[in-house]
Amino acid sequence: MPEETLRPAWSQHFTPDAIQELLSQGPFAKITPEWAWGDSTGKGIRVAVVDSGVEYDHPALEDCVRGGVVVEYDAKAKDNYRIKPDDKPLDVSGHGTACAGIIHSLAPEAEIYSVRVLGRNMGGRAIQFAAGLDWAIENNMQIVNLSLSTSLEEFFGLFHDLTDQAYFKNMNLISAVNNIPEPSYPSLYSSVISVAAHEGHDPFTYYYNPNPPVEFGAPGIDVEVAWNKKQYLVCTGNSFAAPHITGITALIRAKHPELTPFQIKTVLLACATNTKRQGR
Amino acid sequence: MNPDKDINEEKLSEQLQRLLISIEASGRAVLPKSNDVLLKSIVDAAARIFGAAAASILLVNEEEEALEFKVSTGEADHDLVGTKFPYDRGIAGYVFMTGQPIATSNVREDKRFNQDFAKSTGYVPNSILATPLISSDDRIIGVMEVLDKIDATSFDLHDMELMGMFAQQAAMAIDMSQQIDSIEQALIRGLKRLAKEDKTQDTSDLKSTLDHALNGANRSSDLLELADLFNDISALGEAERKACIQVLTTFAEYRKSTSAPRRFR
Repeated sequence: MPEETLRPAWSQHFTPDAIQELLSQGPFAKITPEWAWGDSTGKGIRVAVVDSGVEYDHPALEDCVRGGVVVEYDAKAKDNYRIKPDDKPLDVSGHGTACAGIIHSLAPEAEIYSVRVLGRNMGGRAIQFAAGLDWAIENNMQIVNLSLSTSLEEFFGLFHDLTDQAYFKNMNLISAVNNIPEPSYPSLYSSVISVAAHEGHDPFTYYYNPNPPVEFGAPGIDVEVAWNKKQYLVCTGNSFAAPHITGITALIRAKHPELTPFQIKTVLLACATNTKRQGR
Repeated sequence: MNPDKDINEEKLSEQLQRLLISIEASGRAVLPKSNDVLLKSIVDAAARIFGAAAASILLVNEEEEALEFKVSTGEADHDLVGTKFPYDRGIAGYVFMTGQPIATSNVREDKRFNQDFAKSTGYVPNSILATPLISSDDRIIGVMEVLDKIDATSFDLHDMELMGMFAQQAAMAIDMSQQIDSIEQALIRGLKRLAKEDKTQDTSDLKSTLDHALNGANRSSDLLELADLFNDISALGEAERKACIQVLTTFAEYRKSTSAPRRFR
C-alpha cells in the first residue's frame, strides 16, 4: 500500500501533488497581492493572540505588544473563570510568543494583545479559551489568532455563538486546525478562516483548498520562531501556519479598512499562490 | 437486622456486578492485563510505527503537579521510569500545558528540552515528536514522545498527524485502564464505609474471599490498606458481611476472568 494513503489529516490538501490550480475571473482577476497588501505594514490593526501568553519584551516583537489579559479557571467564580489585566504579559510556554513573532514579522506595525488562556490548571481549558475569545470580541480586537481548539462537543454551541458575534462585529478569527482530522471548534465553522500547514517556507506563499472545511495552507514546517525567555526555536505544527494568514490579514485590513470579513476571505482566495488570474 | 438494608445492599452488589461485566466487555478488547503492560505495548508500537530509536510516555501526577515517566523503550530505556519533573519544564511540559503537539529537530539546542536531565540519563536525542494524550472528556492525561527518527533527520507533519491519531487511541485505552484501577480503589473504600456501620461478628469467611480476590496485592501500601479493611470488617453485622462477600466474590470472578494478577496502586 502506498504510504500516502495513510496520510490522515487536513494538511493532505496542501501537499505539492494535491494543490489544485484555481481560476480568478472578471473583476476578481484584478485583485492582486500588490493591490491587497503592497506597502502595508498592518499599522494600527489590533490583533489578539489567544494562547499561552505573549512575552512582551521579546526582542523579536520589537515592542508591538500593547497589553493583554490573563483568563484563569476558577470553579467558584461566576461562569467558572476570572479575567485579570496583564499589561506586561509573559508567556508560560512559548507557543503564544511564537505565533505573535510570526504575525509581527509579516505585519510589523500591527498591535498585538496577549490573551493568556493556557496554564498549569488544565481543568477548565475550553472555558478559559471561550472566555478569552469573548474578551477579544468585547474589547474591539479586529483579528484574533487561535492556534488552539477544543474537540468537546458541549462547546459547539458556545463557540458557534462567539464566532457569529465576532463576524457581526467585523472581526476575522483565524484558527489553526487540529492535528488530527476530527471536529474541533471553532476552527471548522464557516465564518472562521481555518489554516493547516504546507511544506513551503516563503511566508507569503499560501494556498486555498477548494474542498473545505480547511480553507488555507500556510508555512508550518520547520519554521523558525520566537520562544519565551528570549529564545528562538525551529518548530513544526499547524499552530505556526495560522499566524502567517493572521499577519497577511492584518496587512490587508490596514490597507483596506472598509473590507468586511467575507470580503477579506475573498481577497485571500484571489491572492492565493494557487489562484491564476485570467488574462495573465 | 433491617431487611430494607439487606435488599439495598443486594441491589448495590447487583449494580457492581453489572458494572464490572460492562467494563470487562468494553475494556477487554483493548486492554492488556495491567496498566504497565498496556503502556509498554503502546510505546513499543509507537517506536515501530514512527521509525523512532526510542519512545516514552509521561503521565500526569496531579498531587505533585508533575509529569512522571511511566514507561520508555529503546536507548533511553528503563532508568527513566519513575522520574518526575514539573509541568512547565521540558518539551513534554510544553505539550502538556498547551495541548499542542510539537516536532523539533534540533533537540540538543532546544532549551525546552531538559538538558541536565537528558545528560544524566546518558541519552540526548536529535529529534523529538511529542503529542498530548487527551482523554475523551478533553483532560490532558499525559504526553507521548518518540525520539530520534531513524531514517530521517526529523519527524515531519505526516508523522505528527499519524501520531495524533495513534495518541488518541492510546489515551482512550490508558484512561480506561486508569478508571478500572479507580473502581478497584472505590470498591475498597465502599467496603470500608460499609464495615463502619455495624459492630459484631467474626469475619473469617469474608477474609478468605478478600484474600482470594486480592491475591496480587502484595505491596506494602496495599497490605496496610487491607489490614485496615480487615479491622473494620471484623465489626460487621450479618447482612453487611453477606453483601461484602457477594461483592468480593463478584470481584474475584471478574479478576479470574482477566487471569493475570492485577495490583492495587
